[in-house]
Amino acid sequence: MPDPLFAHGVGLAVILIAVVKVVAIFAVLLVTVMMMIWVERKVISDMQNRIGPNRAGPFGILQSLADGIKLFFKEDLLPERADRIIFKLAPYLTLVPAFLIFTVVPVGGIVTIAGHAVELQVADPPMGILFLLALSSVSVYGTMLAGWSSGSKYPLLGSVRASAQMISYEAAMGLSVVAVVLQTHTLSTRGIVLAQAPHFWKWGVFTTGIIPFVIFWIAGTAELNRPPFDLVEGEQELVGGFNTEYSSIRFAMFYLAEFMNMVTMSAIMVTLFFGGPDGPGFHFLRWLWPILWFAGKTGVFLYVYVWIRAALPRLRYDQLMDVGWKTLIPLSLGWLLVIAGADLHVGWLFGVLGGVILAGLVLSQALNVSRRRRELEAETAGRGRVTRVAEQIRLRALAAASTAASASSSSAASTDEGGER
Amino acid sequence: MGSLDSYLPIFLMTVLGVVFAALSFIASRLLAPQRPTAAKEAPYECGIVPTHEPARRFPVRFYLIAMIFIIFDIEIIFLFPWAVVFRELKTFGLVEILVFAAAVFISFVYLISNGALDWGPIKRVRPISTVQVRTSRSTVQRVGPSSGEAA
Repeated sequence: MPDPLFAHGVGLAVILIAVVKVVAIFAVLLVTVMMMIWVERKVISDMQNRIGPNRAGPFGILQSLADGIKLFFKEDLLPERADRIIFKLAPYLTLVPAFLIFTVVPVGGIVTIAGHAVELQVADPPMGILFLLALSSVSVYGTMLAGWSSGSKYPLLGSVRASAQMISYEAAMGLSVVAVVLQTHTLSTRGIVLAQAPHFWKWGVFTTGIIPFVIFWIAGTAELNRPPFDLVEGEQELVGGFNTEYSSIRFAMFYLAEFMNMVTMSAIMVTLFFGGPDGPGFHFLRWLWPILWFAGKTGVFLYVYVWIRAALPRLRYDQLMDVGWKTLIPLSLGWLLVIAGADLHVGWLFGVLGGVILAGLVLSQALNVSRRRRELEAETAGRGRVTRVAEQIRLRALAAASTAASASSSSAASTDEGGER
Repeated sequence: MGSLDSYLPIFLMTVLGVVFAALSFIASRLLAPQRPTAAKEAPYECGIVPTHEPARRFPVRFYLIAMIFIIFDIEIIFLFPWAVVFRELKTFGLVEILVFAAAVFISFVYLISNGALDWGPIKRVRPISTVQVRTSRSTVQRVGPSSGEAA
């Protein structure tokens, strides 16, 4: 179903409505992000037995605003070794996708304004999901170029880590989104939300069997570079990560984008797996209830992000890559095939399930092989292949010889020790 | 225009985002002091004067990961249209995607067993012990007149 706003051509009223929607969402996003920064600091400090920001405004609620204003007055430094154009371009590449991803998220139901049916979401393109995935890929560029153009050691390391991490988890994320599309048969975000109404057991989290949701959640946290996946800005190793060299308002833009992505990721999870604005309403103020439901569900996820940050320690980089590639990707692919089989026929369900379990065994065998290869390499590290093989043969011969020697010595010893061994 | 109409608000949002960022930078330019010094402009190294140029070459693993990612990304992009029309395709669709997934999975298994997705430095394993048979002789040191050494 296309966007009903544009069903009868584009007139002045339609453009006005579109502008109002864009400006409203823009303002709401900015305010939400400011509040979110405050909430995160306040909740984290509560969990750590601290008071947290409490000076600017009641309960310190204006702290982020004060920080933002302060950053306007701070000197904007351009490192001498920086690639100037790209250094200045990178904040745009991070901030603009952050705003754009939220445009396809349905925040409410459908209302009628001046005779036009208006969906309470900025845009409803027929391929909303693909748009969403495309933009989450684009935001890698901002991180990558920011670190690369800084001309400094730590930002470079941070950005290379970040891009490898983000693309690794994007695959698992995409596969879990396919599971939702499989159940809803549409790529439009509004269509996905409508397919999950009106009962909560039709929500994506239940129709896809929870596992895609869990995978999406983990992968989403990794995409955001949030703890426990925040190796990108591991303070002990990399100072501040890719944005170390950024100061003043340029730094504020990265910070803003980071929190905006967090809000957007929660909103996307609500859209894909929890029915978006779906929920019981009442007869008065019909348009308001879906918005409240949407905001409430998103708020729960935002709180959980803060909670995770307070609770979990950071992963090691090889663990991070192992979780992404060797667990999440095969699991999400296998589960997708299983629910496709279940959709078709019970016989197919068991057939596919058997195949997937078989594939899992093959995979664990492959992991074993790779582990043994590494052990072999570790024993003979730093040498060429020929010497390595020769070394292996020598070591084995040595081991065999020593076995034989100790066996003979122990049998010789057994005469005076009473037949031990 | 037709189907592109629904991208109009997205275009407006792009413009608004760019304008917002640009205005912020201009405002910062007007409000903030501009007194750069050599120390401020030097790359940040925790206070130490940097001696090395930052490396322009990364470990090749990162490129490898990027290339492997492309395989999976292409697979996922093919899965989206399939997922939309799966109900109409029925058995044909399932068999087709099973074959497709199997093809990708085989290459995935090949990558894993060849160690393409292993990370970090190879961990040192303990050297092979040359004495493999454990007896009381090899593990216990006897003290006293019956042993070889003096007590």
